[in-house]
Amino acid sequence: MIGGLFLYNHKGEVLISRIYRDDIGRNACDAFRVNVIHARQQVRSPVTNIARTSFFHTKRGNIWLCAVTKQNVNAAMVFEFLLKMVDVMQSYFGKINEENIKNNFVLIYELLDEVLDFGYPQKTDTGILKTFITQQGIKTQSKEETTQITSQVTGQIGWRREGIKYRRNELFLDVLESVNLLMSPQGQVLSAHVAGRVIMKSYLSGMPECKFGMNDKLVIDKSARSADDGSRRTAGHNTSGKPSIAIDDCTFHQCVKLSKFESERSISFIPADGEFELMRYRTTKDISLPFRVIPLVRDIGRSKMEVKVVVKSNFKPTLLAQKIEIRIPTPLNTSGVQVLCMKGKAKYKSSDNAIVWKMKRMAGMKESQISAEIELLPTSDKKKWSRPPISMNFEVPFAPSGLKVRYLKVFEHKLNYNDHDVIKWVRYIGRSGLYETRC
Amino acid sequence: MPAVSRGDGMRGLSVFIADIRNCKSKEAESKRINKELANIRSKFKGDKTIDGYSKKKYVCKLLFIFLLGHDIDFGHMEAVNLLSSNKYTEKQIGYLFISVLVSSNSDLIKLIIQNIKNDISSPNPIHVNLALHCIANIGSPEMAEAFAPEIPKLLVSPDTINIVKQSAALCLLRLLRTAPNCLAPGEWSSRVIHLLNDQHMGVVTAATSLIHSLAQLNPDEYRGCVSLAVSRFSRIVTSTYTDLQDYTYYFVPAPWLSVKLLRLLQCYPVPQEPAIKGRLVECLDVILNKCMEPPKSKKVQHSNAKNAVLFEAISLIIHMDSDPNLLVRACNQLGSFLQHRETNLRYLALESMCMLAGSEFSAEAVKKHRETVINALKTERDVSVRQRAVDLLYAMCDKTNSEEIVAEMLAYLELADYAIREEMVLKVAILAEKYASDYRWYVDTILQLIKVAGDYVSEEVWHRVIQIVINRDDAQGYAAKTVFENLQAPACHENMVKVGGYILGEFGNLIAGDPRSSPLVQFDLLHSKFHLCTPSTRALLLSAYIKFINLFPEIKKNIQDVLNNNNQLRNADVELQQRALEYLKLSSIASQDVLATVLEEMPPFPERESSILAKLKKKKPSSASVIEKEKKEDSPSNTKAASPPPQVSVPKQNEAVDLLGLGSPAPAEKQSSFLVDVFGNQAATEPPVLDTNIPNDDSLPQDLPFSDDCQALAMDGDFEQATYPFDSSGMCDETMSPDDTSVDLFICKHNGVLFENDVIQIGVKSEYREHLGRVGLFYGNKTPSQLLDFRTSISLPSETEGKINIAVGKEAPSIVEGGAQVQQMVNIECLSDFAECPIITISYQSGSQQTIRLKLPVLLNKFFQPAEMDSQVFFARWKALGKPEQECQKIFPASHPMDSESSKAKILGFGMSVLPNIDPNPGNFVSAGVLKLKTAQIGCLLRLEPNKQSNMYRMTLRSSNENAAKSLVALLFEQF
Repeated sequence: MIGGLFLYNHKGEVLISRIYRDDIGRNACDAFRVNVIHARQQVRSPVTNIARTSFFHTKRGNIWLCAVTKQNVNAAMVFEFLLKMVDVMQSYFGKINEENIKNNFVLIYELLDEVLDFGYPQKTDTGILKTFITQQGIKTQSKEETTQITSQVTGQIGWRREGIKYRRNELFLDVLESVNLLMSPQGQVLSAHVAGRVIMKSYLSGMPECKFGMNDKLVIDKSARSADDGSRRTAGHNTSGKPSIAIDDCTFHQCVKLSKFESERSISFIPADGEFELMRYRTTKDISLPFRVIPLVRDIGRSKMEVKVVVKSNFKPTLLAQKIEIRIPTPLNTSGVQVLCMKGKAKYKSSDNAIVWKMKRMAGMKESQISAEIELLPTSDKKKWSRPPISMNFEVPFAPSGLKVRYLKVFEHKLNYNDHDVIKWVRYIGRSGLYETRC
Repeated sequence: MPAVSRGDGMRGLSVFIADIRNCKSKEAESKRINKELANIRSKFKGDKTIDGYSKKKYVCKLLFIFLLGHDIDFGHMEAVNLLSSNKYTEKQIGYLFISVLVSSNSDLIKLIIQNIKNDISSPNPIHVNLALHCIANIGSPEMAEAFAPEIPKLLVSPDTINIVKQSAALCLLRLLRTAPNCLAPGEWSSRVIHLLNDQHMGVVTAATSLIHSLAQLNPDEYRGCVSLAVSRFSRIVTSTYTDLQDYTYYFVPAPWLSVKLLRLLQCYPVPQEPAIKGRLVECLDVILNKCMEPPKSKKVQHSNAKNAVLFEAISLIIHMDSDPNLLVRACNQLGSFLQHRETNLRYLALESMCMLAGSEFSAEAVKKHRETVINALKTERDVSVRQRAVDLLYAMCDKTNSEEIVAEMLAYLELADYAIREEMVLKVAILAEKYASDYRWYVDTILQLIKVAGDYVSEEVWHRVIQIVINRDDAQGYAAKTVFENLQAPACHENMVKVGGYILGEFGNLIAGDPRSSPLVQFDLLHSKFHLCTPSTRALLLSAYIKFINLFPEIKKNIQDVLNNNNQLRNADVELQQRALEYLKLSSIASQDVLATVLEEMPPFPERESSILAKLKKKKPSSASVIEKEKKEDSPSNTKAASPPPQVSVPKQNEAVDLLGLGSPAPAEKQSSFLVDVFGNQAATEPPVLDTNIPNDDSLPQDLPFSDDCQALAMDGDFEQATYPFDSSGMCDETMSPDDTSVDLFICKHNGVLFENDVIQIGVKSEYREHLGRVGLFYGNKTPSQLLDFRTSISLPSETEGKINIAVGKEAPSIVEGGAQVQQMVNIECLSDFAECPIITISYQSGSQQTIRLKLPVLLNKFFQPAEMDSQVFFARWKALGKPEQECQKIFPASHPMDSESSKAKILGFGMSVLPNIDPNPGNFVSAGVLKLKTAQIGCLLRLEPNKQSNMYRMTLRSSNENAAKSLVALLFEQF
């Protein structure tokens, strides 16, 4: 179990130190600083073992978060907790930086007391934490209120309190996906996967029960089979001919009734109030890649190099991609660069050793290109440049995995509103993860 | 020029460094560096020309980036360009970049060397100095090659100014260290030593370091420096500190130079000229006097500098080792340091005193400080100082004070640090042995040693006690009594049990008269320790018990009960099981006479160098050498105690090995298989033929009393059957007598096929070096089927026995696959001249049991080393070997065509040289060679006179050893 938790700034000064167990000494935070933060060689492993003590760290901006233990804990659990802690802090005071941490250190200690008990993670849900850890000073709570908090926090449905009322019952669904790709220069996909999240923002009265449906192959096949008396059909298409997707794995928010998911593959839940992450998933098959990058690199003698990169958008012409940025790495002995592009802006950024080409937006089924002339300085070193891949960033208004929300039904039996009265919004956003093409 | 107005501040550089320092994270830093590198690259682009100032600035930035840990792969050319600038700062930065960044295999190195050459010959001394510093900083072999001829010229030229000379000397020193052979001795070398007379102290200091290195490499050439060094030294010593204004450090005149000069003088023996020697002694005297004076300053630097000179002076005094007065004074001075507050001083004083104790003049003076040193041992807080104190005590020990010192060391041993205990134990053991006038005291001491520090008592130590007790009749009774008393302690160390078991087993009868130590009491006492011991000790105790049966027949019953116990007879340890079984049988079957013979008291051991000393030497070569030196002086008294080697049959090769034969690695290996050991090691490797005539020279200590057991057992017929798994009797149907012809082929060559029939081919490859040889035997199975039960063994004919030692490297596998070849290595050590070859017996089963006996081509001439000499030397030696028995002549008809070339080849193959132009008749052959044997070197001279008309040869061989001459002639004449 977690023995202690430290927060450091970029210099390695301790900002927050909370020790939960006696086996962690005061010098543990120094050991981490000396061996990881100030290490001569950059430490890349997130888990470091120093003198039979394990340090799990993650970095947010310039802040190091580090969990310490002497026991053989589940590392995935520790990292899940650290990331959750980051989320909690972000929702309380926004960006995690040194100044914010210093301004909120009382709050942070209060949170740390609550989320970990003797090193065992407790409630980390922001919504619940906010019911009893508030940022507005100390407010004397009435006896009813405190008993209500207690019963709610310890009750069966810990993530939602009773008696919530909204004038307008509204809910928002965001499908956020990040698409990762590695492509060979010839256009062959070497690896691709999509990591997606469904974020729900609910403003619903009472204790509504919701049912979420999407075009998951298993569910659709199942329903189709029951409807069609088991007649066989081609995988990937249901009765109505709509495409379905194969989800490799997924995880749900604690509100989802897993037993029902196991038996019926139906996702039903009583939602937490406000914003929460309903599910997380990953797919690797049938990904529609929004962009195709075609590089053309030519060496002209020892002192010159010519680079031409063509970008093709590969989605419906009616959609618009945004925030497009392409990074073309340059050799380490570049002494000068001339860039020519038809669209957007391109610039040689010497601090990154790359040409950065930015376009505000680009419609589907379009094509654009950039050409650059790179002058090289002859070097004494015979080492060959390793040619890092060209990377790309973008944002598109659809889900590259092909995921579609089929329905989200809301049932509230006690209060007098039904599914039709709820206003529902669905939004798809596809972003680039590590989207690289070798050149 | 604009650069001048901008000055040397290099604002761009400081801005860059400030930027880097302000970076919040590593990423930001590397971004800033990437940006700067791109900027510099664009500036260094081929078509642009930039002024010296910017070039310097950018090179500086590159250097800074490199020092931050990034790779720099450009800018070298620009740095080299800077070298040709005339401005000091630009040149300096250029040199700095080159000495830090340019690798020696770069293409630019030629260009750099050219630039440096220009600067070295430049009239501006600052440029010369920069170039010299660069050479020294790089210090690569290339640099040494390029500049080694140049720098000495600079050094001895009258035109060079002092600072350049100083740098040149140090630069040369650096090159000398990388490439000691780079300097060709020239006339400059004689002039270099005159730099010791230079006016400028800096030059002298630098030159002294250089000359010290040179003198170490080539002492004879720089012999002249001694007188100069002495005079320079005396000038420093006699000056008051105001004279050497700039070189006086805390009131000590030129301490560094003094130390260097003293070091230099230690490279040479004491100067012979009385004037120089007198002056040197005077100086040393002054230094010793100065130490008596009250310190001129309370600062620690003052005393440090003063003491540095003093210690170096004492080193020199010890090195000279000729002036008793100085030695004694030095000793007294060191004595006063023994109680000094400073730990370092105490350490140094003890260390120096250790050296002084080795000198005959000061040994007495050192001994005066015994009390202090013993006190230091007890009260000192620093472990390293205590260790030195132990060393010193060891070094100062002699007959008169040995008892006290050994007692003190024993007392200290109980409290000593674990790290030094083992060494101390060895030292105590050595001292006790060496200065033992009374062997009772020796026995007491060693037993006390085992009691106090049993865990640290190595095998060698207790083996040595036993050896000495066995060799000394007068100590035996006392030893038995003392061990008996010591064993009575409720808890005693296992080593004590070992010693006790061995000694009581041998000499228990000497104390049996006393009812308190009656046989039964002795036995019960030993047996009470039995269960607490490791198997090796138990094995030893079992041997002691069987000895008891011989000594005290009245307790035979008790002992047999113990042996008969299932704990013994069915012990998991096969060695114990076997011993118990055999001893039980032996005691019940053998008659009293046989028992008495088998279990006779051990004969005295041959006297050898103490193994303990050898071990200490291995551990600490320095400290052992002190004793070694003394030992030589003491040796007459030592040998007096030693009895002459009584066991003639013990081969001498074990002399280097310790008494109990444990020093060599081979027996240690055997330790794991006691089973084989009991019957002698040879039994495993050879058929029992050998057992009766080769003594068990290298068996384990616990087996030693029983080395003759096996002989007795071998007599006992049915026992032999039971214990030898293989017996050579009546199993073979083919026996070949060793034939000589195949061996003759090997007289003049090392490799070839020794034997071949349609089943097996035996090849031999051999190599010899001095008295050692290695013979590889290759057994090739020519049939497609397996050779089963394949065994080889090597035996020595009785004539050769004791003259060579043969060790078989590894047993050949018992099965040789069809078509396969197995190999076996045989190591040979030649002790003295021999005539008969060893015999190898090979037996295998191929259809029927086959045995082949062959002579192994190990011949005397293999140990020849050719000798070269001219005719004068040859004839002088020829005449010296004029006695009739030293000559062996043979006149014989030629059996081969008489060809001078092939004869020459044969003689060379025989191992001797062929000396041309000695015999007036060019047709005759004259050769010389030395037989390198372990015990002796036998010189041999040969004259071979062919007579073509009568087709006869006359061969004359003269040798210092008549047997050798005969055997050699017998071997050689058949070749012609």
